[in-house]
Amino acid sequence: MTAFLLRRLGQALLTIFGVATLIFFLQRLTGDPTYLLVPDTATQADIDALRHALGFDRPLWVQYLSFLGEIARFDLGKSVVQTIPVADIIASRLPYTLALAAGALLVACGLGIPVGVALALGRDRWIARILAGLVLAAQSMPTFWSGILMILVFAVTLGWLPPSSTGGIDHLVMPSVALGLLSMATFARVTRTALLEELSKDYVRTARARGAATGRLLLRHLARNASIPVITVAGLEISNLLAGAVIVETVFAWPGLGQLTVQSILARDFPIVQGVVLLGSFVTVALNLLTDLLYSAVDPRIRLGSAR
Amino acid sequence: MAHPLKPALLGAALALASALVLSVPAEAKDRFVIDLVNEPSTLDPQLQWNPDSYYVYRNIFDNLVTRDDKGEITPQIATSWKVLSDTRVEFEIRDGVTFHDGSTLTPEDVAFSVNRIIDPKLASPQQGQFDKIVKAEATGPHSVVLTLSGPYPALLAQLVKLSIVPKHVVEAVGNDAFNLKPVGSGPYKFDSWQRGVAVTLTRNDAYWGTKGPFAIAVFRAVPDAATRLADVEAGSADLAVSLDSDLAGQLAASGKGKRLYTLTERLAYLRLNPTRPPFDDKRLRQAAAYAIDKEGITEGILGGLDKPIGQMVTPAHFGWFEDIPGLPYDPDKAKALVAEVGGTPKVEIATGSFFDQRVVQAIQQELADVGFDASIRLVDTPTFLKLIQQGAQGGPALAVSRSSCACQDADGALYQLFHSGNPWTIVENKDMDAWLDDARATLDADRRLADYRKVSTFIATEIPVVPLFQTVAIYGAAKPLQWTPTPNESLFLNRMTWSD
Repeated sequence: MTAFLLRRLGQALLTIFGVATLIFFLQRLTGDPTYLLVPDTATQADIDALRHALGFDRPLWVQYLSFLGEIARFDLGKSVVQTIPVADIIASRLPYTLALAAGALLVACGLGIPVGVALALGRDRWIARILAGLVLAAQSMPTFWSGILMILVFAVTLGWLPPSSTGGIDHLVMPSVALGLLSMATFARVTRTALLEELSKDYVRTARARGAATGRLLLRHLARNASIPVITVAGLEISNLLAGAVIVETVFAWPGLGQLTVQSILARDFPIVQGVVLLGSFVTVALNLLTDLLYSAVDPRIRLGSAR
Repeated sequence: MAHPLKPALLGAALALASALVLSVPAEAKDRFVIDLVNEPSTLDPQLQWNPDSYYVYRNIFDNLVTRDDKGEITPQIATSWKVLSDTRVEFEIRDGVTFHDGSTLTPEDVAFSVNRIIDPKLASPQQGQFDKIVKAEATGPHSVVLTLSGPYPALLAQLVKLSIVPKHVVEAVGNDAFNLKPVGSGPYKFDSWQRGVAVTLTRNDAYWGTKGPFAIAVFRAVPDAATRLADVEAGSADLAVSLDSDLAGQLAASGKGKRLYTLTERLAYLRLNPTRPPFDDKRLRQAAAYAIDKEGITEGILGGLDKPIGQMVTPAHFGWFEDIPGLPYDPDKAKALVAEVGGTPKVEIATGSFFDQRVVQAIQQELADVGFDASIRLVDTPTFLKLIQQGAQGGPALAVSRSSCACQDADGALYQLFHSGNPWTIVENKDMDAWLDDARATLDADRRLADYRKVSTFIATEIPVVPLFQTVAIYGAAKPLQWTPTPNESLFLNRMTWSD
């Protein structure tokens, strides 16, 4: 188990190093932030002076080495635009992203798993067809459209919820639903497939023959066996929710990392983009590791390193 | 959930409210919420310089001089000014102005503010706007003298943007801490900055001038324009910046707010590089100018609030002339000129993602209609800015761009674009250089006007650029807000009033 963990940690570090290198050079292909910082009428001398102050006049490999040196010391540098440490900026945005991801996951699981169960159990009935249609609709609505629509209905017309920005828990409702509806479909589909597969297995037929009711069957046997693909998907969806909230965060003026990333990309604020991407790769790598460990907890057959 | 007490409570509240309304006719507005696009980059007024930053910090800081709602330069921290010689200007500093920490604003603070922004060590992006200033010295209990590298007629126009920072605070806490907790002398005090969400200011009740109408002002970051509109409609924001004409129309039609707008000093233009084919042929530059229906663009695409323009300065600038209209829309003449040259000249319109692409597509179509083989090269903003900063020889043959010096003076608007040797220029002409240099080096307004008349006439006849339109700034506002937006895109809270 230790050897396995060490091997996986080594792979994880290598992955993060690769991502850091890629993001560093990719960004530098996209232009120079200095041009965006100076006023319209800046002279060449202004531009050169600012570029020098920001360190973008150094050779690329020097910049790269100093970047690697900084991340080795866990220093993400200073924002080019806001001139404050990137770590501070990310730390101030992260709670919002986590809150939104949690809210969305709640919506996605809370709706998606029951719907998936209903789709599997009632697969030939009309109710399942209607549900399947609704799931498809929820997944097909782009969030920039469904988000604005929700704002117009629930905030402007009905006045039930605040239209945007942050504050109490009521501010979190619409962004969570807008974001959660997208992953809800994924959860429903995976739950349905996993459950159907389990339903076709021999032990289910045996249990049924012994007179076990569907509810008991579901809770005692199926829930646990069908949960593995759902956990896998949850792991993937969490990284998706953390990364994919860009549009929802923009529409609802939710100050999470997605919004920060887009603004920083547009402003060519390299240190922030690097910081967010590094954080994202770290989270993805860590979640993958965690998912593997969870598998072994749920299913003894894939418990690694144990030769029973 | 029905609560038995609810109707009774509601009734009582209504009675109380109506009593209050009857006794207090104009209810004061305590908390004023403004939706910006992004949060400010910095609140140190001498660092970043973009609208979302100065919308906020111009309320925290006073400037040396300012412009009134009519656009005239008027006293603010400086009460008067005197030209001592071609290179020395003396400013009389207002008495009795205090910073938010209670200390008095002195000539030392003014001199410090000037010397700080021109110091290369600060690396302020604004440095170039003040680069004619050599130094500032406090010369008496109420006076500051600025020393210039030469006569500089646009000095006051540039000083409109110079905020006064307290020397003792900046020196004590350093630049980074000052940026996080700015201290100024303006009508509003910095209260808090919730990163990514909002900056909150509170009214400075000890302000020397017109006090702000709201006890608290909250500047929020709301990147999506449709959301800013919804915020105003739902009443959760009182003012929203940067709406387009469609959204502003929706707001007016909904009856839940109103649109406020003003023509800015920012203008859109087409660059026809006279040093590169095919536009090294003057007839093709004329053809391109005749081909473009500016009215069609502003009316048909942009909603009619932007204004077609014939010069590279706007009526908001010093150095604008009523009688230089530029070439009119005349597609027949354009076709004839292209036919005279022969063939279908191939042109590529370079443009950046900041520019309204509907306008670029219309220009492409109009050029194609008169016989050009026009295509669009759309790149991201930094790449585009780099592209058009290559001077005449290295720059693209054709580009669509926007420009503003935020100084309302022809010197700022024209010098960088039309004087040889500058990165932005596409004109290399000795006469133009002489006129621009002469206008920059004299304080005689008539002589400057005569120079700029020659410059604008040259542009209208030689057509290195086709000025397209003066852009409009549209705001969405709650109905009780009374406010006149200005061409320099400032949001001075103490020039607003609130009346139901």
